[in-house]
Amino acid sequence: MPAKWFAKSQTPALDSSERMRVRYILLGALWATCYVLAIGYHLLLWSAGEPASPTVTGVYHVVVLTSYGALWLLLAHLFQHRTPAPGRIFWTVLLLGILYVGLGYLVTRIPPVGLIGYSPETDLPLAPTAPFKVSLLALLKATFAFVLLLRFRDLVLVKRTKSSRRNWYLMIGFMGIAALSGFMKSPQEGVGLIQGLAIIPAVVFMVVNSFRLSWIVSLSFKGKMAISGIAFLLLILLSGMAGIDVESGGNFELVPGALQSVLYYSYPLAIFTGLAVYFGILYCTTAFLSLLFHLPTTGDYQRKVGEMATMHSLTHLVSQVFDPEKLFTTIAASPIEACSAQASWLTMPVLEEGAFRPRIVAAQSIEAERVEQLMDVRALFDEVRSTRAPLMLPQALADHRINARPGDGIGSLLVTPLLARDQVLGVLFATKEITHGFEPDDVEAISVFAAQAALALDNARLFEEQLEKERLTRELTIAREVQMKLLPQRLPVLPGVTLAASSVSALEVGGDYYDFVQLDENRLALIVGDVSGKGTSAAFYMAEMQGIFQSVSRLAPSPRDFLYHANVALADSLEKNVFISVIYGVLDLQKEEFVLARAGHCPAALIGLNGEARYLRSRGLGLGLDRGALFRKTLVEERVRLQPGDVFVLYTDGVVESRNEAGEEYGYDRLLEVLAANRHEDAPELHTALLKDLHAFMGSKEYDDDMTLVVLKWHGIEMGRAAAVESVPQTSPAAVDGRTPSETAMEPPPNLTK
Amino acid sequence: MSNFSVGFRTNGDVQVLDLKGELDAHTASELEAAIQRCQSENHCKIVVNGEGLMYISSAGLGVFMAYIEELREEGGDIKIAALQPKVYNVFDLLGFPMLFDIVETEEEAIARFRKEKEEGAEG
Repeated sequence: MPAKWFAKSQTPALDSSERMRVRYILLGALWATCYVLAIGYHLLLWSAGEPASPTVTGVYHVVVLTSYGALWLLLAHLFQHRTPAPGRIFWTVLLLGILYVGLGYLVTRIPPVGLIGYSPETDLPLAPTAPFKVSLLALLKATFAFVLLLRFRDLVLVKRTKSSRRNWYLMIGFMGIAALSGFMKSPQEGVGLIQGLAIIPAVVFMVVNSFRLSWIVSLSFKGKMAISGIAFLLLILLSGMAGIDVESGGNFELVPGALQSVLYYSYPLAIFTGLAVYFGILYCTTAFLSLLFHLPTTGDYQRKVGEMATMHSLTHLVSQVFDPEKLFTTIAASPIEACSAQASWLTMPVLEEGAFRPRIVAAQSIEAERVEQLMDVRALFDEVRSTRAPLMLPQALADHRINARPGDGIGSLLVTPLLARDQVLGVLFATKEITHGFEPDDVEAISVFAAQAALALDNARLFEEQLEKERLTRELTIAREVQMKLLPQRLPVLPGVTLAASSVSALEVGGDYYDFVQLDENRLALIVGDVSGKGTSAAFYMAEMQGIFQSVSRLAPSPRDFLYHANVALADSLEKNVFISVIYGVLDLQKEEFVLARAGHCPAALIGLNGEARYLRSRGLGLGLDRGALFRKTLVEERVRLQPGDVFVLYTDGVVESRNEAGEEYGYDRLLEVLAANRHEDAPELHTALLKDLHAFMGSKEYDDDMTLVVLKWHGIEMGRAAAVESVPQTSPAAVDGRTPSETAMEPPPNLTK
Repeated sequence: MSNFSVGFRTNGDVQVLDLKGELDAHTASELEAAIQRCQSENHCKIVVNGEGLMYISSAGLGVFMAYIEELREEGGDIKIAALQPKVYNVFDLLGFPMLFDIVETEEEAIARFRKEKEEGAEG
C-alpha cells in the first residue's frame, strides 16, 4: 500500500519538474534569441550609419521587451519558492547590487571608455563595441532590478492579505504601464507629461508597498541590528545607482553612464529598472527606520512571545500528568521560555534520613552536578519551603549560599516554590547571567506558571499513588486467595464426629491457621495456630506452618513429637520477635481418646454432656520462643478420654479478646458459658451459635484481630463402624472468610459451588 | 491517637520502663524505640513495670523477644513486674514465665537484679 501510494505521487512530481525544465529552456531560448536579435539591430544601425525605419524600430523595441519579459518570468520562477528570511533577502540583494556595480564598471571600461558610444544627435552607435556595451549594461541592470523586486516581494507579502497581494501586483502593473509609456521614445527626450501621469500611480503603490514591514516585529534584537545595517548599506548603494540628476550631467553615478546606456538600449526598460531602484530605495528607507524604532521594544516583544509559549505549554502540562519525566522537563524549561532565563532547574523534596532534601529532577541549559557545585541548593530550597514565597537574589554572587564566581553565569537567581494543597511539591530555580535580571513581570509570569505546574505535579503524584494503591490491592487480593487455599477446602468426615470451622482475617491476609490431616482410618490430626502480629508477614509464617503441619504430622503425629519438630523447623526462619502459638491434637477413634498439646496457644475448651466445662491448660511454650531444649522439656501432653457428647472448641485469641464498644473483652468465662449453654447442639449449630453471640456482643464494631474457631463434637460410635472413614465435601462452615462470619460461615467455600 | 506510652525512670543501675495503655501491633514500635534507647545508653538492666498496661497483643510480646537475647549477652536482662492479671494471663499462656522473670512488684524485680549482681561478684 505505501509503495503504491509512493508510485502514484511520484509521477506528477516528475511531470511538474520536467515541465519546469522545459519552461526554463523555452524562456531562456526566447530571451537569448531576442537578446541576440537586439544586438544585431544595433550592429546593423552602426554599419548602415542611418536611422532605421519606424517599423523596424518598433519591431526592435517589441523584441527587446519580449526578451526582458522572458527574463522576468525566468527569474520569477527561479525565486518562486524561497523562504522569506529577511536577513538572507537583504544580504543577497546587497551582494547582487555590489556584483552589478562591479561588473557594470568593468563593462564601462569597454572602449570607447568614458563615452556611451552613441551619437546624441542621431541616436546611432559610434563604434561597433557600443551595442555590446549598452546591451550588457542593460542586462546587468535589469537582472539586478528584477531580482530586487522579486526578493522584496517576499518581504512585502510576508503577511498575505487580499489587499497586500493586490497592491503588489498593481504596483508592478503600473510600473509596466509607466515603462510602456516610453515606447518608441528617443533617448534624448525627457520625461514627458504622459510618462509623468503614468508614473504617478506606480509611485503611489510603491509607497504603499514600502510600508509593508510586518516581518520586522518577529526579529530578535540581533537580527534587527544586522538587517538595519545591511538595509542602510543597500540604501546607499541604490542611491548611488540611481544617481541624483542625470540630466544636468556630472553627477555621481556608481556605474557611470548606465542610465543613459539603458535609455539608448530601451526607453521602457530604463523606466522600469529606474522605478525598481527607486522602490528599493523607498523600501530600504522605511525598513531601516522601522528597524531602528523597533529596536527598543524587541525585549518586550520577545517576552510576550515567551509568555504565550509558556501559557501554551501550560495546557500541555495537563496531558503530561501520566509521564512525570516529561512533566519535570517541561516545568524546568518554562523560565527559559517565559522570561528568557539562561538556565533553570526543578527540585523536588525526597525523604532521606528522616528529612526532606531537594533533588534536581530536571535541568535546562545546565547540568545538575554543576548546579550543586555553584550553590547550596538545599539551603535555598529550605528557605523557600519555609517561607512559601518566591525568593529573589538580584545579586546572586553576593549571597552566602552561592559558591559561583563571576563568569559562571549566575548573576541573578529566582527561586519559586510550587505550591499545591498547601504543600511545597517542588521548587523551581531560574538564573540570568546579569545582575537584577528578573523584572517584576518575570516573577509574575513564573509564579503564574508555578501555580499551574504545582497542580500538574500534584495530579501526577495522586495518579501514581492511585496506581500504586490499585496494584497493592490487587496483590493483596491475590495473596488472600492464595491464603484461602491453604485452609482446608473440605472438612474430614469421621464416624461419630462432627466438625465445624471458620476463620476471618482483620486485614486482607492474616496469621491465623487451622487444618486437619487424616492420619489413618481411625486418627485425625488437627491444628489451630496464630502467628504473632498481623498482615502480610504473619501470612507468610502461616503458610510455612501449613507446610509443616501437612508434612510433619504424618511423620510424627504425637503432639509432643510434632510440636518439637515444628519448633525446630521454624527456629531458623522466624524473626526474633515473631512466634507462633499452636494447639495440636490427635483424635483417636479406636482408643476413643483425644491427645493434645498446647504450644503457647489459648487453651482448648472442653464441655461435657453434663454441662461441665473447662479449659485444657497444659504447659507449653509458643513455637519460636525458645530454640533450645527448654521447649521440649516444658511441653506437656494432655490426654482426654472421649465421652459421648463431649465438645472440644479450639480458637484463637481473636475470639476471647474481641471487644465491644465499651472496650470490654468477650473473655474466657463468657466463651465457656455460651458453649455450655449450647452443648446439646451439633458442631455446626454450636459454631453458629457462638459466632452469633460474639457478634451480638461486639455490636457494630469491626473485628480488629484475626479470629478462628474450630468445633469438634464426639457423638460416640459403635465399634466396627469406625473404619468407614471418608472425606466428603464440606457442608458445614470451614475456611470461610468475611466480615460477618455468622452469616457467611453457613455457606460452603466458593470453589465448591462452582 | 496512640493510647500507649512508655515512662523512663532509673533505680540505681536499673532502668525502669513504665508501660501505660495498650501495647499492640501499632504501638509496639514505641516500646521498641524505648528499649533501643536503653541499649544505646548502656542500660542493659531493664525492669518493665506493667501496672498501667491494660492490654498486650502478640506483636507487643514480640518486642520482648526481639531484645532479650542481646541484652542478656551484654550482661543485662528484662524483668517484668506488676502485671495486671489479664495481661499476665497472656504472658503465661505463651509460657513467658519460663523465659522471663515475671514478678509481682517492681521492688522484687530490682532486688533480683541486685542479687544477681552479688552472685556474679562472688562467682
